[in-house]
Amino acid sequence: MPTEKEFQIAPIVQESVMHNSKALYNLQSVTASLFGVSAGILGLESYNGFLFYVVFTMLTSVLFYALHVAPTSIASGKGALDTSRYFRGPYELWTGGLFNGLAGFILTWTLFYGLVRA
Amino acid sequence: MAQVPVQTIPRDPQLFYWILFPITVVMILSGILRHYVTVLLATPPKKQDQKTMREQRSLVHGVNVRTNFHVLSKSSFNSRREALTTAYESGAYLKDPDRRGQPPPNPMSDPSSMDGMMGMMKNQMAMIIPNTLIMSWINAFFSGYVIMKLPFPLTIKFKSMLQAGVATKDMDPRWMSSISWYFLCIFGLQAVFNFLLGSDNAANQMAQQMGQMNPQQQPFGPGVDPDKQFLAEVENLAVIEHYSVLDDVEKRLLEGITS
Repeated sequence: MPTEKEFQIAPIVQESVMHNSKALYNLQSVTASLFGVSAGILGLESYNGFLFYVVFTMLTSVLFYALHVAPTSIASGKGALDTSRYFRGPYELWTGGLFNGLAGFILTWTLFYGLVRA
Repeated sequence: MAQVPVQTIPRDPQLFYWILFPITVVMILSGILRHYVTVLLATPPKKQDQKTMREQRSLVHGVNVRTNFHVLSKSSFNSRREALTTAYESGAYLKDPDRRGQPPPNPMSDPSSMDGMMGMMKNQMAMIIPNTLIMSWINAFFSGYVIMKLPFPLTIKFKSMLQAGVATKDMDPRWMSSISWYFLCIFGLQAVFNFLLGSDNAANQMAQQMGQMNPQQQPFGPGVDPDKQFLAEVENLAVIEHYSVLDDVEKRLLEGITS
């Protein structure tokens, strides 16, 4: 945990933090709805459907990391999986998005499952 | 584990066109309508007179000095602290200097705070009324049958909630009536609204908005005595041990270069 003095030397700007999490949240919502469409069309049932969602959301997070966070983060000397330049805590990037998109995923999954399965 | 036979109910495909799509379309459009109505009905913040503004802003100034004292040098911090302390204690910033020591104005009778409360109530009404209308419409027209099957299984207890109009004993809880589709839509369409209307849209869940509004209301809301706030701020400023981030900056710079 950085000390309070280090926080004062390099302050965490509230607006930037919010912008980062908002960008991640928007992306997670849209991709979750799209994954629901594909899960419904594929006709996946209970556990398979959720597993599909989890796997592909993690894939989205990895891609997001590789394409957005990594270039500047590695250039500034951080390790290969460190997200501390942009996000507070690793869980926010990797696993936080699961619950954000769950509602949208279930909605579109149910809709397309009912439509396609007939 | 005994294999429960999968219950399939052959359904008219027209069911989708006449029930699913109308409900979905109505909910999306009502959300968009609600957002724009909120935007149009929002009253601009009332211009307050100079004394009220001075009272509020001076308190904010004190709080800012307290939180950011480390960017100031010692002399400038001390001069700010003394100026603010004398002003707070003598009541130079108060709106009504004669009312010191009297209880704060009743929120019901104070006209300047009514507008804030009216704004909150209007937002709540804008949220409740369309939802209630749509729910009663669905119950009137679309009750009495199941329309779709959930892709994942649920426990029996959910049946009473999700299969509102159909009273059967054996039907799988996976079959839902249209009211449960309505509930699914409420939660799931927030993502769609985010995408269509940008992230500040007014169709988001009420809880999110209430949580953000309440902490902001406290410093200047109805029924708060500014004199006591000023005196509390005087104490807070007095206990600060000042240090500046510029104190050892030469050493840090040299360390950064040599590494």
